[in-house]
Formats: sequence, C-alpha cells, structure tokens
Amino acid sequence: MQVLDQTTSHTDDLNLYASHAWRHSTVVAGVHWKNPVGTASGTFQYAAVRNFYDVSQLGAVSTKGVSPEPWEGNPGVRTAEAPAGTVNAVGLQNPGVDAYLEDELPKLKAIDATVVTNVAGHSDDEYAEVVSKLEDSDADMLEINVSCPNVTAGGISVGTDPQALSRLITRLRKLTTKPMVVKLTPNVTDITVIAKAAVEAGADALSMINTLLGMRINIRTGEPIIANITGGLSGPAVFPVGLACVYRVRTALPDTPIIGIGGIDSGEKALEYLYAGANAVEVGGAALLDPLAPLRVARELELLLDERPELSAKLAKGESWR
Amino acid sequence: MPSAVFRPTTTFSATNSQAIEAGFMPARRSAVITAVKELSEGIIRLTFADAYIAEHAQPAQFVNLYLPDPLHTAPRPFGVSEVNGEEVSLIFAVVGVGTERFAQLQPGDTVDVLGPLGRPFNLEQSGHYVLVGGGLGVPPLIKAAQDLSRRADVQCTAVFGYRDDHFADEYVKRYADFAFSIDESEGNVITLLDRIEARHAGQRSAQPKILVCGPLGMMKAVAAWTSRRNLSCQLSMEQRMGCGYGTCVVCTVDTKYGRKKVCSDGPVFNAQDMGWNE
Repeated sequence: MQVLDQTTSHTDDLNLYASHAWRHSTVVAGVHWKNPVGTASGTFQYAAVRNFYDVSQLGAVSTKGVSPEPWEGNPGVRTAEAPAGTVNAVGLQNPGVDAYLEDELPKLKAIDATVVTNVAGHSDDEYAEVVSKLEDSDADMLEINVSCPNVTAGGISVGTDPQALSRLITRLRKLTTKPMVVKLTPNVTDITVIAKAAVEAGADALSMINTLLGMRINIRTGEPIIANITGGLSGPAVFPVGLACVYRVRTALPDTPIIGIGGIDSGEKALEYLYAGANAVEVGGAALLDPLAPLRVARELELLLDERPELSAKLAKGESWR
Repeated sequence: MPSAVFRPTTTFSATNSQAIEAGFMPARRSAVITAVKELSEGIIRLTFADAYIAEHAQPAQFVNLYLPDPLHTAPRPFGVSEVNGEEVSLIFAVVGVGTERFAQLQPGDTVDVLGPLGRPFNLEQSGHYVLVGGGLGVPPLIKAAQDLSRRADVQCTAVFGYRDDHFADEYVKRYADFAFSIDESEGNVITLLDRIEARHAGQRSAQPKILVCGPLGMMKAVAAWTSRRNLSCQLSMEQRMGCGYGTCVVCTVDTKYGRKKVCSDGPVFNAQDMGWNE
C-alpha cells in the first residue's frame, strides 16, 4: 500500500467543503454509487448530519432501521466506552416507517442522495409490512437488519439461524423488486453459512458487519453499565473482524455484491475492504466522533484509487477486486 | 504508510471558515488551550480559543472534547461556562480518564472540539430569572448569568448548592444581580429558595423564571418546588452521549412525550414535560 501522494494532479483542491466531481464510482446490485463510501445504518440521521455537510456527496446513505410502528428503544444508559470503540444498545429507537416515508426519505431524495433504507422488525410479519410499504417509495435499496444484537425479537435471532433467515428473505423477496441487501452479524460460528442462506433465498447483496456483542461493568457497583446489560461493539476495534468476514464471504460467494463495514475511519482502511473483496464500504462509528468522517474517507479513498486504475475499473463495472 | 490508528493523517482541510463559507456548521477541529486553572481540588477551568463557539454558544449549550488517544474515542461533552472575546471556558471535575487528561493540558496545547451543540435555555422573555444550580451543574448557569448581565430588561438571581467548596462563586458574582450559595453542611438549594421566598413574602413582584442544572435529585426537587408555585422551570439534563449532535440516539431521557435525545432535543427541557409530578 502506498502513502497518499500529495503530488498527484488531483490534490489542487483539498477543501473538504468544495464542490467535487467524483472520479471513482461503484455499482452495488445494479445501483450506481457516485463513490464507494456510504454511511452505516444507525450512525446517520439526516436532520442531524445536514448541518455539517452536503450528504448527497456520499456514495450512499444507509438510514436508521425503520419498523412498522414507532419503537421507543431500550432504556438508558445506552452506551459505554470500550478500548478503541464503544458498546451501544439503542434498541432501534425510530419513529416508524410512515414517519420515515413522510420526512427523512423525501428530504434525502430531494437532494438526490442515494438511499439505502434499513428495515427492522420483531417478526417476519413486521419485516414484511415495512418492505411492502417501502416498495412504492423512492428508496434506492433496502437493507434488511437481521443482525442487531440489542432487540429481544427479530434482529440477531434471525441473522444467526440460516433456516429462519432463509424463510424471512424468501418471503420478502416476493414483496419487493428493489435491490435487497441483507446485513450480517459477525456473532456466528461461520458467517459464510448465513451469507449463502441469504443469497440463495433471494438477497441481491450483503453488508457486513453489524456490531459485535459486548459489555462493560462499573467496578464501583459491580453492575453492567448499559441498562440492556449487553450492547454492540463498534469502532476501530472491530476493523480486522469486519475485514476477515468480508474476505471469507467473498471467497465463498465470488459474485455477490458486498458492502464492507466495520471500523473504517480512513481511506486506507476503506481500501483494505475493497482489496478484501467489497464493492463498497460504509463508515459508521467514526461518524459519531466527527460528522465529516464519511466524506473525508470518501475523498481519501479517491486519492488512493487514482493510483489504482485496475481496482477502480472493476468497481465501476460492479465487479470486486477478488 | 500513514499510521491510521484512529484519525487518519488526512491531506484534507475542514476549517471553521471553509465550513461557514459553504453554509455549514464547523465539524470537529483543533483548538488551542489558552488557560487552565484548578478552582479547587479536582475542579478545573479550561479555556480555549474558538471564534465560532465564542460567537454562537448560548447558555446550556455544550462542547464535545476528544482525547488524542485511539483507545478512548468517545466525545466528552461539557457545558460552556463563559465566553470572553474568542475564548471559551468550561468547568469540569476530574472523574475519569478523559477529564484527567484534559486537566493536564497546558496553554499552547491543542484539543479537538465540536460545538456549540444542543438546545439552549430560552431567555427570550424579560423579567426575573432565577438560576438554580448544584455541583457541576453550576457552570452552564454562569454562562446564563453572563448573557443576562448584558441586558437591561432582566434581573438575575443565582442560587447555587455545593458539596463543600464554593468553586464557582467568584465567576457568578461577576454577572448575577444577586448570588446566594450554600454547601451541604448548611442545607441545599431548596433551603435557599424557601428563604428568598420568605424574604419577599407579601411583596408584589413578577413571577420569576427558573433555570436549573444539577444532579437529578436536585432538579426533581426544584421542579416540584416550582410546580407547586406554578412557575416556569427549564431544566438542563445530562446523559452519557455517543455523538453529541443528534445522530446516534444513545443519550435519551424519558419524557411525557417519549424518549428524547439529551444532546439535540435537549439538554434543556421544560420541567412540566418530564412527567415527574404526575
């Protein structure tokens, strides 16, 4: 891997806010992304992020999981710092799919963002209800969240069971013509088994990884810090885990589009995911520490792709490096 | 290759002026420390220069500080306690790894900051404001007193409770028209509020507007005290935060209207919206 080359002809404008013509695009399950970097679901809310930059510059934005009805999520405390990361247990608090369709989605489409709508449910019926409601929407892709570790039903309970996952995705496939991404958990013995089950049931693409199950304890009280007891670990700590998951799934499924997620906070780390076989990446935890992180990663990656025409050409055709 | 352990060695710039020119709020950036003072044991007043925060910060708004340490990445939010020129002051207690490291900063050092963040106290009305603070809830109220001191249409009374050392009295006395403080050996802020009320008994005066920031138990007691008197009461809440700017939804507090984000729906809430007295 090489150092960012500051002598390249493209570094004339290094102001992150300057309007920018992207040079390296990607295609994920037939959907064009203007660059290979998006936001990871759960770490992006348009009403908050819009104050800081033009989010339509990103390859895509993956919005927070939406359920059929508004969800209150878990009680507080919901977060605890961890070495090189944080453990969170929000529990998919969201205003429900109807509010999303009236508010966040139209605002994102009005600025021409590419939108990946994350779908949550407590049961197959609930996932189906959300997918049906999104079918006639302007969402560009759907991402089925079968990997949240912080809800008592749905989420990870589906994403760790190949048969339950197959049943769910088979049903959802009949309800939508939109490209359907299934977001996988790393909390399994063999992620390739789950990945294959999702693709055989009709998933168009896979995204990975969701958070790793974790917890922290307050040594003054001896009790868990997070009210939900356990939460999901994200941040730089999970980077090598996500990378290994992408590599293994790419090896098992050579032709399935993959969105790589986990610990990305620089163009270099995004590039590692692309070399592992991802078609695109999403920035999650890093955006919580700096709203501009996804845009910065996209611009850094662009400089790295300038020097890698073969990789860039593959991405533009919807292919992966390996 | 660059050692991209946490924050990458980026070639890109995102300065305050570039953000403002593009119509956006500045994101995370580096600020230079201009003063560090220990007000009492383990209580630090930290001052840094940031023209944007200095110009825009309103009372109860806060600033995230970040450690230059890949192992400890979470934002540490602190209420702005004073603004002088382009300099912004925060007051905090050393309670953990983050505050320990911030306490060791020296003038000339830099620290990463994001802000100002959050929904401030509503100070639009004229009249009499009573600021009720406890412990480390006092600093944001100093900023309220500072802003109110610049107006001719308001009066400001500060009522502060401390565990022991009255560490912030020096600052609030510069700005408040009347300042009362008490420590645990003598009573609490309710003791003071009762005394002030008794002193003014029989006098005809406009209803005061109460602003509160402090430990949850104290805020509940003050909310109940104001509710019985039908006074307006704004609370500034605290919660562990994941981002500080409204995106991650970890810092929620339960209200009559559901779980709200302390960082962006608050930190200021109306006491009557909390459902504490029902």
